[in-house]
Amino acid sequence: MTDDNQPRTDGGTATALPGDSHDDDHLPPRWSLKRWLVTTNHKDVGLLYLATAMFFLVFGGVLALLIRAQMWSPRAPGTGVLSAMAYNQAVSLHGLIMVFWFISPFATGFANYIVPLQIGAEDLAFPRLNALSYWLYLASGILVFASFFQGSSFAGGWTLYAPLNIPAFMPSIGATTTVFAIVVFCASITVGGVNFLTTIHRMRAPGLTMRSLPLFTWSWLLTAWMMLLAFAALLAAVMILLSDRMLGTTYFAATTAGGSVLWTHLFWFFGHPEVYIVFFPALGAMAEIFQTFSGNRIVGRKWFIVSMVLVALQSFIVWMHHMFLTSINLEVKTLFMATTIGISLPFDLMVFALIYTLIKGRIRWDTPMLYAFGALVLFIVGGITGVFLGAVVLDYEFRGTYWVVAHFHYVMVSGVTGLIAGLFYWFPKMTGKTYDEFLGKLSFAVYFTGFNLLYFPLFLAWGTPRRVFAYRPEYVGWHRLASVGAVILGIAFLLIIYNLAKSIVAGDDAAANPWPYSTTAEWAVASPPPIENFPGKPSYVSGSLEFLDDDATAAAAADGGTAATDGGHAALESGHGDDVHVDHASYWPVTIGLFTLVTALGLSGLQVGSYPSGLEGLFYQGASVLGVVGLLGSITAMGYENFTAHEGGLGEAWPFEGVENTKMGMWVFLASDVVLFGAFIGAAIFLRVAYGWTQWHPIPHNPIPGLVNTYLLLTSSFTVILALVAAQKRSRKGVVASLTLTFLLGLGFLANKAIEWVVLFSEGTGLDSSVRASTYYLTTGLHMGHVIAGLLVTAYLIWRAWNGAYTDGNDETLEYFGLYWHFVDIVWLFLFPLFYIV
Amino acid sequence: MARTKLYTGIYVALFVIATMQVAVEQIGLLESSYMLALGLITVFSLVKAVVVAGYFQHLVWEPRSVTYVMLLGFVGFLALTVAASYSIL
Ligand code: HEM
Ligand SMILES: [Cu+2]
Repeated sequence: MTDDNQPRTDGGTATALPGDSHDDDHLPPRWSLKRWLVTTNHKDVGLLYLATAMFFLVFGGVLALLIRAQMWSPRAPGTGVLSAMAYNQAVSLHGLIMVFWFISPFATGFANYIVPLQIGAEDLAFPRLNALSYWLYLASGILVFASFFQGSSFAGGWTLYAPLNIPAFMPSIGATTTVFAIVVFCASITVGGVNFLTTIHRMRAPGLTMRSLPLFTWSWLLTAWMMLLAFAALLAAVMILLSDRMLGTTYFAATTAGGSVLWTHLFWFFGHPEVYIVFFPALGAMAEIFQTFSGNRIVGRKWFIVSMVLVALQSFIVWMHHMFLTSINLEVKTLFMATTIGISLPFDLMVFALIYTLIKGRIRWDTPMLYAFGALVLFIVGGITGVFLGAVVLDYEFRGTYWVVAHFHYVMVSGVTGLIAGLFYWFPKMTGKTYDEFLGKLSFAVYFTGFNLLYFPLFLAWGTPRRVFAYRPEYVGWHRLASVGAVILGIAFLLIIYNLAKSIVAGDDAAANPWPYSTTAEWAVASPPPIENFPGKPSYVSGSLEFLDDDATAAAAADGGTAATDGGHAALESGHGDDVHVDHASYWPVTIGLFTLVTALGLSGLQVGSYPSGLEGLFYQGASVLGVVGLLGSITAMGYENFTAHEGGLGEAWPFEGVENTKMGMWVFLASDVVLFGAFIGAAIFLRVAYGWTQWHPIPHNPIPGLVNTYLLLTSSFTVILALVAAQKRSRKGVVASLTLTFLLGLGFLANKAIEWVVLFSEGTGLDSSVRASTYYLTTGLHMGHVIAGLLVTAYLIWRAWNGAYTDGNDETLEYFGLYWHFVDIVWLFLFPLFYIV
Repeated sequence: MARTKLYTGIYVALFVIATMQVAVEQIGLLESSYMLALGLITVFSLVKAVVVAGYFQHLVWEPRSVTYVMLLGFVGFLALTVAASYSIL
């Protein structure tokens, strides 16, 4: 079955091995609900992601059909199937749900399932965190759902533009819940991003260098990097928005100079990378499928990868093309028009590489290939129409019209199409069943027809104002065509779901490798793969994939290690084979997810500093308290739980050789925290510039208390170092004493801060006194939150150290905590001058 | 580890630089020449940050790639802050 394969570099080839009878050790069976609650296995988590994302596709799809029903005729407010406010909610939540709760999680599902298989890893680096990402995602999804039942969900468009997003214009609790849902979603993405970056960089099989990494994994690696940094900026934006809504700061108030422009900057700094975050996984899937079904290696593979890297970087410097109609100056518009043209160049290269791959090969038109090819066609249309929008002068016409709606649906839903191609492609691998090919092809015909009937007329009716259900009567024909297309596209999705559901129940068994010419490692193991994925240690050292038995492994790992690195750690870890028992189940991720949900629901009741009165208020307050207590408890329990996962660094780990997994995870997390704080600080600087830099004076009258706090934090950083030194000297007393000092110093910092705030409050300077006061309270408040979190961890560490931990040669935990604590210190080193001196 | 001495020296240096930052304000430099004072204070902060990251967080002893990851975040912050502020000048 794999005889056709020639040895290739990307992923190499291997003979399929029979499924291993090896039980899913210590996991309940698949038919039991408990299994899905406790599992941390990447394949299970992948399936959970896929199933949940499909649910949100249907949810978002229903909202879309409601929109199209309303658009059947031009309407006056109050006529048609939806009230004006219901329509606004449908439009806003359709966009939010599709972008956040469907597309990215759908791609995450594939990444979970496929990436470890492609790189020869038995699981992700942090399996419990992976489960946690999923449960946070689900919690955020439930929040979105709940928001409809709290007065009104968010109704100001998926871009949450200011000042429409503040309580004065959108007072409902449900709108706060929607924003909170995005906060939780960002947390999920951050946890997942840290995990995937550590995994892909450090858990590759020996011999699997970056150059030979399969394209889907490449695309996901870059997606994860973009997610890590872009979502941190979004997190900052939505946290500030929450603070405006819940605490009463005034960042986005209509009266603030620069408030609404600030929102667009923060949002689109995230938003443009987001469109590539959405599209890259689809691109990776398309590249795999094009190669398999044309029997041809992608043309210009190296340049394809270089282009992806360039696009990922450039995606962070084009965001103002979404702001051509705001008050930003012409120079900056011109600059961003140029960068926008710049980013389309590497994209052109990728498109041509895909086209040439097809031209050079003999194509087999199976269902995955049909969808992948369809995705390419749609993407080209979407890309070309985007170039129009990227030109400042043309955008003056097109901005806020259906041209934009048509453009981004072509590109975004092209991404969906690529992922559906992936769904058919990997379905046999994930389920062990074969889908119905005829139904698959039929669904594509319906899909492609429905898609173009739905979205192409929107270009022709482009004069329709966006997000509005009144339009010029001459467009009625086009809008009706679009509504009909929407129904057809909906039917196509139902056909897809029916086909796959039917095949899971009654499909033929699938071979390990149903696709001739496939070259990546997921096809070298049974369908579905056993829990440990591989029948031995995967290795590419010989040039193609081999599974080594464990004795050979030690040698191979050492070899691989020395070849790729300077060999520092290989010897140390060899022999670490089967004798380590790996865990697969934990209750804590789902528990943390649950309490996050409760906390968010509770806090959403907080409106500009106060809870609603009566029973309702009691409910929200109770939920807040219960949630926070539960969260603290379950996080501690998860930290305390014994859980053994696979280590990294046994194979390829470029460029993080010798940086142990948890340490790398911590650093990657801190990089995202740099962007989070960076966006808060950037927001403060921006508002100050808008206000007039030198007219703006620090809120505290006197820098000396701030200086004292600087001393306290610096000293506490120093005592953390001393704790580590003591641990290395195996002095339990020393560790406990230094950590206790750290704790006290941190407490001193907080007390000093509290006094400062109390004095300011008593003088009448509150969060809402001025935007200047808002930035001071919120930015230093975020820092204080970090200090409090650090102190909670310190307390935990003291307790553990008291009981003898860290002085037995395992002092990494102290070191990693130190990384965090010093980071908090560094942030203060910038906040202090900015908010106390200059 | 014999690095304790090094760490102590750095700690003292950080203490001094923090004090100098406030001294810049106390001697009235902000009033007399604002840009110079702002520049000095910023440079002091940067120096402190680099030293903490380099030695307390051990970046000088880690593979350079870790530093680049952090720089990536920092460059992101700079890009956002500078370009956004410039856009409304
Ligand atoms: C060559 C490629 C592209 C160019 C030059 C381009 C350009 C643009 C421009 C200038 C806008 C702003 C239009 C306006 O609001 O007036 C825009 C909107 C948009 N684009 Fe693209 N784009 C490209 C590719 C993509 C891709 C690949 C995606 C997603 C997969 C995408 C998704 C979006 C979305 C979602 C919006 C609308 C945002 C909103 O709600 O306002 N674009 N595009
Ligand atoms: Cu864009």
